[in-house]
Amino acid sequence: MNWNLFVTELVSGITHGSVYALIALGYSMVYGILKLLNFAHGDIYMVGAYIGLGIISVFGGPLALTVNVVLLLFVMFLCSMLGGGLLGVMIERFAYRRLRNAPRIAPLITALGVSFFLENSAQLILGAQQQSYNSFSWTNSAIAFSHFTLPAGAVISYASVIVIVGAIVLMIALTLFVQRTQTGKAMRATSFDREAAAMMGIDVDRVIVVTFFIGSALAGAAGVFNCLAYQQVFPTMGFQAGLFAFTAAVVGGIGNLPGSVVGGLLIGLAEAFSIGYISSTFEQAIVFAILIVVMLVRPSGILGRAAVQKV
Amino acid sequence: MDGERDSNLPARPDEAQVPRVGVDEWVATHEGRLRRNRLVAELERVPRPAFYLAFGVAAALLPVITNDGYIIRVGFDTLLYMLLALGLNIVVGYAGLLDLGYVAFYGFGAYSYAMLASPKFGLHWDTLAILPVVVVASALLGFLVAIPSRRLVGDYLAIITLFFLQLFVTVYQNGNRISILGLTRGYDMTGGPNGIPGVDNWDLGGLKISSLNGYFYAALITFIVLLGIVYLIDQSRTGRAWKSLREDPLAAELMGMPVNRLKLIAFACGAAIAGLTGTLFAALNTAVFSADFDVPTLIIVYAMLILGGAGSLGGVILGALVVNVSLEFLRTPGHATWVFYVVVVATLIARIRPWRWLAVVLGGTVALGYIVHAIAASAWPRGTHGDVSVGGWLGSWLKGWELHPTNPMFIGNIAFVILVFAVLALTLLQGWQRRVAMIPTLYLASFAWENRLVIEPSITRLILIGVILIVLMNARPQGLLGTSRVEIV
Amino acid sequence: MVKRVSLVAAAAMMAALAIVASAVARPTTVAASSLSCTKGVQIGMLAPITGPAASIGGDQLHWAQFYATQWNKVKGHVKIKIVQGDTQLDPSKASTVAQSFASNKNIVGVIGPAGSDEVQATAPILRKAGLAFASGSATRVSLTNGSQKGFFFRDVPNDGVQGPTAANYMFEKLGVKSGSNVMVVDDQESYSTGLADIVGSNLSGKGVHVDRESISQKDTDFSSLVAKVTSATKVVYLPFQLASQAQLFAQQLKAQGKSAIAFGSDGTFDSSKFTVDGSYISFFAPDVTTIAADAKIVAAFQKQFPGATSPFGAPNYVLAQMYSSAITTACKDKKITRAELRKDFAKVSLKSTILGTPIRFTANGDLAGAKFHIFKITNGKYQTVQ
Repeated sequence: MNWNLFVTELVSGITHGSVYALIALGYSMVYGILKLLNFAHGDIYMVGAYIGLGIISVFGGPLALTVNVVLLLFVMFLCSMLGGGLLGVMIERFAYRRLRNAPRIAPLITALGVSFFLENSAQLILGAQQQSYNSFSWTNSAIAFSHFTLPAGAVISYASVIVIVGAIVLMIALTLFVQRTQTGKAMRATSFDREAAAMMGIDVDRVIVVTFFIGSALAGAAGVFNCLAYQQVFPTMGFQAGLFAFTAAVVGGIGNLPGSVVGGLLIGLAEAFSIGYISSTFEQAIVFAILIVVMLVRPSGILGRAAVQKV
Repeated sequence: MDGERDSNLPARPDEAQVPRVGVDEWVATHEGRLRRNRLVAELERVPRPAFYLAFGVAAALLPVITNDGYIIRVGFDTLLYMLLALGLNIVVGYAGLLDLGYVAFYGFGAYSYAMLASPKFGLHWDTLAILPVVVVASALLGFLVAIPSRRLVGDYLAIITLFFLQLFVTVYQNGNRISILGLTRGYDMTGGPNGIPGVDNWDLGGLKISSLNGYFYAALITFIVLLGIVYLIDQSRTGRAWKSLREDPLAAELMGMPVNRLKLIAFACGAAIAGLTGTLFAALNTAVFSADFDVPTLIIVYAMLILGGAGSLGGVILGALVVNVSLEFLRTPGHATWVFYVVVVATLIARIRPWRWLAVVLGGTVALGYIVHAIAASAWPRGTHGDVSVGGWLGSWLKGWELHPTNPMFIGNIAFVILVFAVLALTLLQGWQRRVAMIPTLYLASFAWENRLVIEPSITRLILIGVILIVLMNARPQGLLGTSRVEIV
Repeated sequence: MVKRVSLVAAAAMMAALAIVASAVARPTTVAASSLSCTKGVQIGMLAPITGPAASIGGDQLHWAQFYATQWNKVKGHVKIKIVQGDTQLDPSKASTVAQSFASNKNIVGVIGPAGSDEVQATAPILRKAGLAFASGSATRVSLTNGSQKGFFFRDVPNDGVQGPTAANYMFEKLGVKSGSNVMVVDDQESYSTGLADIVGSNLSGKGVHVDRESISQKDTDFSSLVAKVTSATKVVYLPFQLASQAQLFAQQLKAQGKSAIAFGSDGTFDSSKFTVDGSYISFFAPDVTTIAADAKIVAAFQKQFPGATSPFGAPNYVLAQMYSSAITTACKDKKITRAELRKDFAKVSLKSTILGTPIRFTANGDLAGAKFHIFKITNGKYQTVQ
């Protein structure tokens, strides 16, 4: 057994899975409350990544950074989460709010419209070219090259560590928020039954805005995490990521937050191991075949509960 | 003839007690409370098939009116989209199943046709033999996909069909290296990324279709015939059963409907139509490539169906027309500029009352333009030396009214971003504030259009399609020709 | 009621059939009329301006537009307008756009399409319309086998030249021997699979173990694939269309401590994006952004279209240049037809271009005298090694 390959694939799968999980969390939160498949979520992730890139260039560009890496990361996350969150709130306010009681598929198409708009506006303004965080060559700390050594001679780069640890921190914070705070409780109540929540005096509008803000902020953060590890920023990056996040959210049991994390990690690991051990050409086919089997065994997702239908 | 009672007829005595299936009482009586003009009432009296036929005749006239290959090609593409939307309408509009794997059947049809009628495997089957084979095979494939997913509901069904589509695309795209469990050498089944070229034309028992006009009519006749069939199915027991399944699966099951079988039939019908459409596609393009059967196509077809109104056959036609024709129309910057100004002015005329406010807004915008132009001409010489996108009197007028800086990329981008925020802010304002704020916004819109959007028409048209989807869905959530429903919780 | 409906239906059917018959019987004429040159002429541009390959298509468009602006500035030149047609790298969309160019009487020639599939899909339409079409990026060998003679041209060498050059260099200079390992990775697009096939078979013909893998253009992480590179792997061949993907692949090779050398193709030739030290690239000309004589042109381009540029851009600049030269010849009598332009275009021979090599076409429309150079990246600079 080639342990080096195994451990490397494991690290690679968990890193990529963490990014998926973060996007999926936001997806799942919004779904839980509005039962809306927010296709524009992936584009918020894209905007978050571009905000991070903007911060890097404000501080002198990747090859001539003028500030400490820790400070840089802090500012990047702060700005991308704020920017992503505000964008999400705006989308909710201007595109989805009027459709709250419409047939479920109407906001879905609106979400597609928002996604078209964001993706192409980004191309118009920022250009279609791939741009790079270049975290391999940051002057004061090449976080993508510096690494810890793991058993079997495998390595884990600082960038991967930042992604994994960052994702865990955000997930814990989110769980605490949802479980412990007043707003979190209101969110859970609203997602359980919106009308009943409204009757109990919960300000549903406010809860929805908060949900969109947090979910989109996570997507914005995911954009930065992704690019710290994988560099590239381009206008259409949100499409594929959004598709995988949607997949992760549903496979884990949509509306269920730990489920999204499990789903994201499952996809990341399935990708890594099918490339490593089976075939890189048919990687996607293998991943989707695995997911189909998972869904057939657990039709409501891995951690999802079968919905009880009310008559 | 359930859904289309004449509103002029006297109400049944039990009307008030029996709202239609899945329809909220308030909504059900909504039509009666509307004051309709006579034209609409008369139109509703005409049987639906007459409209479909009228559409068929009007469409058949297209190649007679014009000799322009491009227009006919766009007509053909639109008909293909209509066919796809028609099949999807059965699955989504009637049976209410969110099938995100739909275009896989389209691809399956196209690839099957290409494999059976091209030099790829040296097979050149007769079209009349291929068509039934493809239709039946697509329907069977639809069945196969539906069987494992029949227990899934809502978004779980959506995701598993999406997996299926992704699986399919991967196989099409890498099908030139298919080896069995990695043990055998790679067999070339689909040509991989090179696709299958050299596909034969349709040959219907000696009637060889080789011209674009021929394919246009083949698509049109196929569409009209299928539209008729779907209409009849819609009116039949199965059609009504699908709709009750869509409205409430649980209730439908309680009423003794074979819910699982209904789902399977819906999937198979949709898949069969998509497969047939695929053969037309492959034959006209004389080649198939996997790129055409991926998620972007799916999105477009969904947008057409929902925009037109899911569950409405007229909506299928209208949705495909609106989306595809506007996509093509916006391709040319000259057209797009006209459309832009005409739509803006028409919207203003239609929406602003009283008239004097309209005069204020339009006059204010024009005046603002001249003032800014006059200031810029002296203070910022670069600002008036750029190029105008459109010719004719509109172009020369714009030249004297609008600022056209040289190298407008950067300033155009900024104007675009500000414009987006300005339009959003406009929706928050009310009354006179909104109308006054409209003046600079309109000017800004024209500026951003002239100096940035029109320079990149390919990107702009996709931005506009996004805007159209958002605006139309917000204005009519049920789709253009859909009937409004309130979901009962 | 039913009777009336069926009567109407029958009448409508008859009318429709009559229309169909008359329309099908009518021949569709192709515009062969000659066009006056005084108002300027139009060149169609088929490129993937939006969608996943937008970074390539946008650049192609901008370089062609840039040439047209420069050309039109000079008094006495026949004005050229580039009409853009977005294909999204999708052959069927390309066909629709090609049809729109065919129908547009003002268009006398076409630049593009970008992809080899698109060339195949649009060829029947463009040929029927009598249009020349010249691609700056379609490199599949079979496109210039003579079947599109006189209609299709390209100013980039085909895969049949590049593949063997790259394979030979690996064999002669990079220590690849019979029995050693090479990983060949394609990006599942036809450009890439074509090259990968040629290099792969070339190497296995010499007894090299070829490990064939693929990625997708949508992928943003290759660490799982890089993990499969062993210490016995001498070279990783990366014939990608996106230079940034080659860059990331090479960076991840280094990050995982692999010793294999990354080797890119002309698609990855971009000194601003693919910069990992010690990597090799094959390209058919010197680097545009490093040629001293081109510096002014590149600076002017950057002024009109700020932002990064890719190796797929400059060949389209040259195509626009060739078209304008052919248009000048064709317009000597103040009139131009598509057929005339096609003939003149085939004869254009540019002594020096921004690509650094003279450019003219062979009888089948291929680039004449095509030859590949090998570059080594040292300190982010491209140095010619062969």
